[in-house]
This record gives sequence, C-alpha cells and structure tokens, in this order.
Amino acid sequence: MEDISFSVKEGEFFGFLGPNGAGKSTTIKVLTTLLRKTSGKVHVSGIDLDKSPGEIRKSVGVLSQETSLDVDLTGWENLHLQGRLQQMSGQVLDERVEELLKLVQLEDVAKKPTGRYSGGMRKRLDLACALIHKPKLLFLDEPTTGLDTQSRTAIWEYLEGLNKNEGITIFLTTQYLEEADRLCREVSVIDHGRLIASGTPSELKESTGGDTINLTLEDLSLRPKAREILRTVPGIVDVMDSDGGVTAYAKSAGQIIAGVITSLDRAGIHPTFLSISSPTLDDVFLRKTGRRIRADELSRRETEPFLM
Amino acid sequence: MTILYDTQSLLERYLTKLVRNPTLLATNLVTPVIFLVLFSQLLTKFGEFIPSTPGGYLAYLTPGVILLNAMISAPLGGVSLANDLNSGFLSKMLLTQVRRPAILLGRLVTDMTMAVAQSIITIVAAVLMGVQFSTGVPGILLILLTVAFFELALSGIFLTVGIRTRKTETISALSGVLFFPLIFISSAMFPISFFPSWAQTISSYNPVSYASDVTRDLVVGALSFNSLASGYALIGVIAVLTFAATMFQFRKVVS
Repeated sequence: MEDISFSVKEGEFFGFLGPNGAGKSTTIKVLTTLLRKTSGKVHVSGIDLDKSPGEIRKSVGVLSQETSLDVDLTGWENLHLQGRLQQMSGQVLDERVEELLKLVQLEDVAKKPTGRYSGGMRKRLDLACALIHKPKLLFLDEPTTGLDTQSRTAIWEYLEGLNKNEGITIFLTTQYLEEADRLCREVSVIDHGRLIASGTPSELKESTGGDTINLTLEDLSLRPKAREILRTVPGIVDVMDSDGGVTAYAKSAGQIIAGVITSLDRAGIHPTFLSISSPTLDDVFLRKTGRRIRADELSRRETEPFLM
Repeated sequence: MTILYDTQSLLERYLTKLVRNPTLLATNLVTPVIFLVLFSQLLTKFGEFIPSTPGGYLAYLTPGVILLNAMISAPLGGVSLANDLNSGFLSKMLLTQVRRPAILLGRLVTDMTMAVAQSIITIVAAVLMGVQFSTGVPGILLILLTVAFFELALSGIFLTVGIRTRKTETISALSGVLFFPLIFISSAMFPISFFPSWAQTISSYNPVSYASDVTRDLVVGALSFNSLASGYALIGVIAVLTFAATMFQFRKVVS
C-alpha cells in the first residue's frame, strides 16, 4: 500500500472496491492491529493505533476473508468461546449468544459441529463471532466472496440491518461491483495499493460521463478505425478500448445510438454485438486504469442488448 | 477477568476438541497400557540382571513408560498451534482481547493434563500387574507433578517448532528423530550399566535420565530430598527455558 489516505465517518457504510491483489486485505490487517504499518498514522474509533492497539480491539469487530471457525466445536461453542476471549461471561454472554444465533438464523444447527456446516452457514456464524462484543465498528474483508447468491443476499440483509438499526459503522472490502453499489454509501476504488477514486457510488458513476456503448468487434484490428469514427459522432464524450472491442461514453446513449450505427455502417464496420448500459462502478475502474475489475463480472452486468 | 480466565477458556476448547476426536483420545489413553505390557512381557528376563530393583523389570520399566507417554503426546500442542496458524484461527484469536500468553498457556496446560491422565492410567495398570509403589499416595502425586513439568519442558519445544515451521509434518518427523535417542539412551527403559561407555556418558547428561531417576526413586525407592531436588531443578530449568523460547517465538508472530 502506498500513500493511502481516507477517513470514514461514524455510522457510515464504507466500501473499499478493487480487484484481487489491490491491497484491500492488507489495509484491513493494518487497521485491525494484525499487521504493522511501515509508516503513517492510523486512528480507529478515535484511538491512535500506535498507542493503544488493545483499545482498538475492544471496539472493533473483524470478519476475515477466510472463514476461521473451530470445526470440532459446535456453532454455540464457537460463539461462546469468542465471547469469553472478548472478556464476556455468565448470563450476559449466554443471552448474547442466543441473540446472535437468532440473528444469523443458525439456532437449529447451533448444537452441531461447524465442520458439518455449509459455506454460507460458516460465514454467517463467523459474522456472529465478529459481533459478539457489540463492536461500534465492523471490518468485513470480502464477506461474500465464494458464496452462493442466496447466502450473499442473506449476508447483505444482515449488514444493512446492522448499519441501519444498530448504527454500526461498517468498513467493507469487495471485488464485487453490485455489492459496493447496493450496500455502500461511500466508496473508495483502489488498484495496486493506490487510491484511484472516492465518492458516493452515484457520484463515481456520473464522473464517467454518462452511459456506455459497448461494441464487440470480430476483427480487433478495426479498433483504431472504430475509435476514430465514434469520436466524430455528436454526443460521444470519450472512446476507449475494452476487452473484445471498444467502449464509448455518452450522456444519453439512447438518443445517439442511431447515429452511431449509421456512421459505423458507412465505414464498413459491423460489430457482432452492441449494448448500451448505464454506468457501473466497473466503468469507473475502466476509465481510470484501462482494465476491468474482473472479467467474469461482465456477464453479471445489466445490459440492454441490441443485436445487429 | 484475568489471564487465568483466558487460559481456562482455551483449556476447555482444547479438551473439548480432544473429546470430539475419540480415536485420538483412545489411542493416547491405551498406548501406556500397551507399552507396559509389551516391554515387561518381552523382557521379563531382564529382572534377573537387576536383582537390586524390587518388583523386577516391570517395576523398573514403569517410570520409563510414564515418561515415554509424556514424550509421545508432547508434539500434539505444536501440531494444534500450527493448525491454528494455518487455518486463520490464531489470527481470529489475536483480534480479540485475549491475553497473548494465555493462548500458549492454555495449550501447555492441555498437554500437561493429557500427560497426567496417561500417567494415572499407567500407574493403575502397573498396580494391577503387581507393582508396589513404595512411596504410596504422596509419592504418586509427586510422580504426577514430575510428569507435568517434564511435559511442560517438552511441549514448549514443539510449540516453538510449530510456530516457526507451521508444518505438522515437520513436527511429527522431528518427534521421531528426537525421541528415540532421548528415551533409549537414558536410564528410562534400561539400566545404564548395560550400555557401552559412550552411551553411558550421553545418558548421564540426558535430561530424560534425571526425570526417570526421580520418578524411579518414587516407585521403588524412598522419598529422598537430594535426588528429588536435583531432578526437579533440572526439569524446572528446562521447562523455564523452553517456555521462554516459545514465548519469544510467539511474540514475533503476534506482532
């Protein structure tokens, strides 16, 4: 990580968006006292990281990327142990354990060893572990990576509830655009350990200049020619190369699409596929870095295809 | 809340894990009996060579088997710590307010508990096979104390290895290499007088010899302050050294 600076307000739902290897986990490890930083200043919940890491551990909860449960212990035992390590005991702890098992809907399997849980159940229990001592600030490192859609939605709902109803500040890292888009009110986009954009999801999307028009070309050598033609179409703000073709940006793509098609046709360029989409956070990333966050994210984007 | 609370929480975790793994638990608890029966039956004739030991070779062997078992279960702590390091569970514990030394203490007390349980089984089996413990119940309690410290010293070595290598395979390989010379070139299983002179020399420096001499005095001898003091002093020093080494390695991992 280099020269990263940001602040998260109390009660915020803050997202750290970036591809694999961007430095998201490293940032979380530094903020939660697991890794030592080489330089710089960090304050978590108003506490200086260098002065009192112990105080920070008291007020934050952490959900690591890799689920870490004791697979020999039951769900109840895992949660109870976590509470004891967080210096809780007696009836207060027992009640908190029941409350959290109910929240993450694991009451029925609480007496089963977690080795027999599914991936989604483990993640939910791990989330409950992070919440046991009622932290004011919750760090989540890619909480839904590797989960099925159903488990992902369930986790999203818990997180929204925690932020809205209990006022817990949430700091989340993700490589999923829709996750950042749906959950976060404030997003920082990072790549290779550097901050490349910050703002609310809608601010960031507006900054791309509007809608995108994606062209897929069978012959990629036509890219320069396509770029040149598209630049002459009125209303088009910018054109960039993308995987499999070119992407053009326009304020209202729907109104100029006829012009785009005619100009290309006249020049003898016939795209195999053309689509218009409203900007996503991926477009923010593409415009700043020239790359997509993840290739497989493309298939999940909402697009309105025009077949030619 | 104190470090004792944290140590107790983790002790309970490790003991629960042991109970949930009945094969491991049963193996650990049956092994002492197997060793005792096997060696004493195969080597009954040995008794003729050690007429000074009341109770014959079985009585001579009992302390050796008690220590041998402690040695066999010592690597378990290192294995468990390496597993926690690799699974991320250790990181998860470090993110809580748990007092750092308790993570090691909880594991060490678990290993000590296991060694004491094995010793009790060995002692019961020995009594059933006819061994008379000359120092009675106080002596037996002292034997258990000896074993607990002996285990503390050994367990620390493997916790250190576990932290450094993070590989359970390395720990098992090391335990084999370390244990056979340590246990057999000592007075634990056979009287030193049977050894060639080089082995006698090694044996006289081997800490296992001190531990087994102390234990043997408690089985067939009399409560003698001098032999107890020298034996305990040595085991104590080793236990403190290995615990300090383990803490030192652990602090490097923790920070």
